Amino acid sequence: MHASLKSMCYGLAAGSLIAASTAQAQDATVLYNERVVEIEQTLPDANDLWVKPEDLPRINDFELKPEGACYEALCIPVLQDRDSDMYVTRRGQGWFNVTGLADKLQQAYVVDYDDAVWSFGTMPVKRQQFIRGGMAPDFELNDREGNPVRLSDFRGKKVLLLTWASW
Amino acid sequence: MPVWQVIYDELKADYENFEIISVAQDTGGEAAAGPIFDAAGVTYTSIIDVNHHISSLYNLVNVPSGVWIDEEGRIVRINEGTYAKEHFDGAFGTNEYVPIVRDWVAKGVDSEHVWDTAKVRERIVDRTPDAEKAQPAFLLGSYYFQRDNEAKAEQYWTLAQELDPTSWNYLRQDLLYEEGGSAGPEWQQRVQDFEAQGREYYAPLEIEGDSN
Repeated sequence: MHASLKSMCYGLAAGSLIAASTAQAQDATVLYNERVVEIEQTLPDANDLWVKPEDLPRINDFELKPEGACYEALCIPVLQDRDSDMYVTRRGQGWFNVTGLADKLQQAYVVDYDDAVWSFGTMPVKRQQFIRGGMAPDFELNDREGNPVRLSDFRGKKVLLLTWASW
Repeated sequence: MPVWQVIYDELKADYENFEIISVAQDTGGEAAAGPIFDAAGVTYTSIIDVNHHISSLYNLVNVPSGVWIDEEGRIVRINEGTYAKEHFDGAFGTNEYVPIVRDWVAKGVDSEHVWDTAKVRERIVDRTPDAEKAQPAFLLGSYYFQRDNEAKAEQYWTLAQELDPTSWNYLRQDLLYEEGGSAGPEWQQRVQDFEAQGREYYAPLEIEGDSN
């Protein structure tokens, strides 16, 4: 009797802690390719990364439109008039599930939950032309002077792409 | 690298549309790779890629590696151990690669060393779902490394190696910061074990016309 009462109290205490933490949204850091994106507010969740729709484009170039989460010609349908595993509305604020999108796109990710740093891999949808068609994946990296180098700027040229390392 | 500069100057004189993009896979950044570029007096495009982005994008697991990309952005050769010449009397490196580069630059699609799409696809390294996950794990480790959090850098770089044991780059970049270094006993043992299984440390060079 005592024991169950005690555990009930603990349960209540834990419950109110969760309530307190959901009341204030947490910040997060998202890594994707060369991007380090600081997100001021996310919806606290034990497993998934939920962001405001306006933060989505700077995370991964996707944009939430009425028909879904879209990147170029690709649109992943997302219902926004009701809660789903991709989109929820809380206190009038809509939240989009970035890791849910990653799962749908088979995009790999690794998370450091303590620091809320979410690291995403390249998207398979952006790599099909490479894997299936042997087209060179485009990239944008800075050269040593800090100027952006895009492979697509080298169209019309033969490019010998070499990797090496000092180690 | 000084050798590539000589080849670049030679080919560029006759073929204006030839370019080299040289990408150092170095978490140590400018301090690690910059002096080597400088010493070679490099005039082609040089990039220091602290997150090993190019290796992850092109499914490359070792250095040096080379990719040939034609005027339309199509890959026509990929994933070869691409030294510009032999070093230490043939201890490593090869003198066979540069002649085929010259041939391609001169003849383009008519070079016998240009691969078709099927051959290119065959030579693109397949990745397991775990190996796909190694890339964001390595990226996360580099994020912490650049912020001087050595414990977490080690944690995620180790995870990357576990997820993709085929990557020599992930292994050696990490070993650089440990006792023994990137070419120390641990690396030597791994190479020995690997070769004992009949596998080649560098993706093999397949030079067309060799058998003739």
